[in-house]
Amino acid sequence: MEKIKVTFYPENKTVVVAKDATILTAAISAGIYINSSCGGDGVCGRCKVIVKKGRVLTQLSGHINAEEKKQNIYLACVSEAQSDLEVEIPQQSRLNLEGLTQEEVSRRLKKDYTEPEDVERIDTGRKPGFKRRPFTRKFYLELPAPTLEDKLSDLDRLERKLNTQSGLAVSHTSLSSIKNLGELLRSSDWKVTVTVGKKNNTAEIILIEPGDTSGRNFGFVFDIGTTTVSGQLVDLTSGKILGTKATYNKQAAFGSDVITRIVYAKNGEGLQELYQAVADDMNEMIKSLVTEHHVDLNEVTCATCAGNTTMIHLLLRVDPTYIRREPYVPTLNFVPVLRASEVELRINPRGLLTCLPGVASYVGGDVTAGVISSGLDRQDELSVLIDIGTNGEIVIGNKEFLISCAASAGPAFEGSGVSNGMRASSGAIQRVSISAGSLESSYAVIGNTKPLGICGSGYIDLISEMLKAGILDKDGKVKELKNDLIRKNDNVREFIVVPKDKSGTGGPIVINEADIENLKRAKAAIYSALSILVKHMGFGFNDIKKIFIAGGFGTYLDMEKAISIGLLPDIDKRKFEFIGNSSLSGAREALLSEEASLKADEVARKMAYLELSVEPGYMDEYMAALFFPHTDLSLFPSVRK
Amino acid sequence: MQELMLETWSGAINTVTIGATKEEGGTRSRAIKVGGQKTLPFLFPEGELPHKSVVAFEVWDTPPADWPKNLTDAYGDSLKDPLKWAEKCVKDFKAQLIALRLQGAHPDFGNKTPEQEAKLVAEVLKKVDVPLIILGCGDDAKDNIVLPACCEAAKGERCLIGSAVQDNYKTLVAAVLADGHNIIAESPIDINIAKQLNILISDMGLPLERIVVNPTIGALGYGLEYAYSIMERCRLAALAGDKTVASPFICFAGHEAWRAKESKATQEEFPEWGPESERGIIWETITATALLQSGADILVMRHPEAIAKVNKYIDNLTISSSVERRADRV
Repeated sequence: MEKIKVTFYPENKTVVVAKDATILTAAISAGIYINSSCGGDGVCGRCKVIVKKGRVLTQLSGHINAEEKKQNIYLACVSEAQSDLEVEIPQQSRLNLEGLTQEEVSRRLKKDYTEPEDVERIDTGRKPGFKRRPFTRKFYLELPAPTLEDKLSDLDRLERKLNTQSGLAVSHTSLSSIKNLGELLRSSDWKVTVTVGKKNNTAEIILIEPGDTSGRNFGFVFDIGTTTVSGQLVDLTSGKILGTKATYNKQAAFGSDVITRIVYAKNGEGLQELYQAVADDMNEMIKSLVTEHHVDLNEVTCATCAGNTTMIHLLLRVDPTYIRREPYVPTLNFVPVLRASEVELRINPRGLLTCLPGVASYVGGDVTAGVISSGLDRQDELSVLIDIGTNGEIVIGNKEFLISCAASAGPAFEGSGVSNGMRASSGAIQRVSISAGSLESSYAVIGNTKPLGICGSGYIDLISEMLKAGILDKDGKVKELKNDLIRKNDNVREFIVVPKDKSGTGGPIVINEADIENLKRAKAAIYSALSILVKHMGFGFNDIKKIFIAGGFGTYLDMEKAISIGLLPDIDKRKFEFIGNSSLSGAREALLSEEASLKADEVARKMAYLELSVEPGYMDEYMAALFFPHTDLSLFPSVRK
Repeated sequence: MQELMLETWSGAINTVTIGATKEEGGTRSRAIKVGGQKTLPFLFPEGELPHKSVVAFEVWDTPPADWPKNLTDAYGDSLKDPLKWAEKCVKDFKAQLIALRLQGAHPDFGNKTPEQEAKLVAEVLKKVDVPLIILGCGDDAKDNIVLPACCEAAKGERCLIGSAVQDNYKTLVAAVLADGHNIIAESPIDINIAKQLNILISDMGLPLERIVVNPTIGALGYGLEYAYSIMERCRLAALAGDKTVASPFICFAGHEAWRAKESKATQEEFPEWGPESERGIIWETITATALLQSGADILVMRHPEAIAKVNKYIDNLTISSSVERRADRV
């Protein structure tokens, strides 16, 4: 087999691959992650690279225009290496793992700041917090040494002391902890710290250490999203958050949506690759957080994950195939407590891993987490939780009942599938206003840098402002106005938000009619799902007393503008509350409180699920919502003016 | 006798006037009004149905290539000359309304220029004095230059011009607005798109009273019942007060019915189906009468015999009802 050297710039990293391997494959081998939302099908056009030297065999693609062709720009996924190559990967084509500054991360995750803070204060006093009782607890024990009168065995002695001191009746201790117990107890002068974990309704001694380490007990929480993985290091003794990190889900290289990934999992080593991608994300995060906060990995005794059902299957390496096949039944919703080492999470090798329980194939533990974090299940009055992500989940209910549904919104609000879209990281435009006469945009950029693209909240502002300024018709088409900011490109009309000279990408930042179509579909999917769910329960929007909005919408979300484009229903704006990443905060509640964890189980069991794909009115609702703000303008009186 | 349970509706269908008489600045012998209903089709006791549905004869600017023989036979040689064809419809068949389809403008069917088509429109208007519907060729780019030219040529005659579709409506709306015509808004059997398009058009300043909706229909056996359900839903919404879906309907019954195999196939092919000379006419008639029951205000049809039958059907339904109504009052 002929071998070929591919060198990537600016990393200056060289890998050897077989001839005919795609540049995308070579990049993954080199550990460089290129955007590839379509999973390498040549469809999404996000993996553009510049071939500086060497020959490639490529396929024609509508994503490469004549200008780009001249610059030797190719799609990495359909271009096969024919000779040694030198390839430059432009900024836009990267899955930029370091894109978020610490400050951005903290603002983006809203309440999941990096500043340490008491867990009791998280819920802003709106509702009682859960009683703190972390998943793993450490007890410092001073045992009486055995005598001829007290000849209890070492292990019985330990358990007796633990029971009298903590009230816990231990039902299991692993052999590896027992093997050297005799030596350990005697060398530590009968003073040891025992770590006890709750494992499926039983207490287990997971660790016995010499001396008093009871003040050093830490845990991790993760929100595993289709697009973003967030992690947090928590001090289990004090309940304080030590640090929060977010990174992109490396699985994105294999497909931007869960369906593509489920299909990919069936593909040879696909499941293992997908697992490895997310495990790497989590381990990288663990490593950097423990280093920053001077925590010994041995002191990290448990991890709690919330994620959609597919993400959890992939993390556990459980075949996700049946999630996408009718009648859409997952292999598991309730995940038993596992050893973290079983999924190769690099914490204390004897540490435990728990996952928040899911409800159905498309309503996962992230939603359960959102419910317990928002307190939806404890509300007296009718409330709604909307988690706006690639898969938009909606829960309606109160302390009496809960019902959920999932709407396939697509990744447009996360900045994918739109020409100048990006995630809410440094360089993203997140706030826009357009001046009525000149149609010039003024905008706010995350990190106060030159703009590189537009994130979800930026798009909401932008569409709302374009409608207001008369640039868009209600169908989302750009009007033919005499203005240099409106132009036609490849027969598609577009609006220039940032002219070339002010942008950080070297070209102008635009929004075109195809982008608006994608955003329109995303907002229609969310709105119509909510509408169907509310109607299904026999309510109207005005019966709703509170709406919690969760999701990765950057640091800000203008509710009024979200209403004006028809993403959210036109009800009193004071009823809305933006709660940031509720999946992560819910996972943290479960980690820190046995009560919250039991609550999550109860919520998942209690929550009903409405399958929209078989709901007769859904398609009609969706079509009606494919308009700004809606085909039925009477639903949006405040927008109508 | 037990009293009828009557529904009272708050809304009404918009009234659209097609054609302008001398007094109104045009040259038509009469103007035709459609719409204005305050109840569902033919429910006379329940509300006003002020205007009868009308049938328009379809006339092409170029001899239709795909019409079956039993249809072309009805017009003979006149098919070769749109002026003669239109005149024949009015003189011989007593047409009240002509729908001139500019198929010859299509790049694949003659590629006639906007000037040629505008001239034809002017000549047809001179030749016949009934109100005129002008239909484009279906090629968006071409229609966008041909139809504005025709609008201008027919200025003042208050024609009905079509079709505006969701992805291509702006040019036509602007032309119709400038030259005082009415517009056909076409949607693909979808109540939401029908409504969206009406809103988009009225947002450009054309009043809702100048829009006629083509809901797109299927012929008998080809989705007619689906078309029925969409038209009924539109009507129910309109009568409940939604002005944006309260447009009269135009239905291309002839176009759809004559595409059906059942209209075109010869007796040799399907002996058990009977002679095609009657079958096509029946297919068009049944399609059209079902559409009347669905709420069609304007039917665009092809075969003179089918049209005669449908006109008689309309007369029968409206006469008997006025008798009943008179009886009620007594």
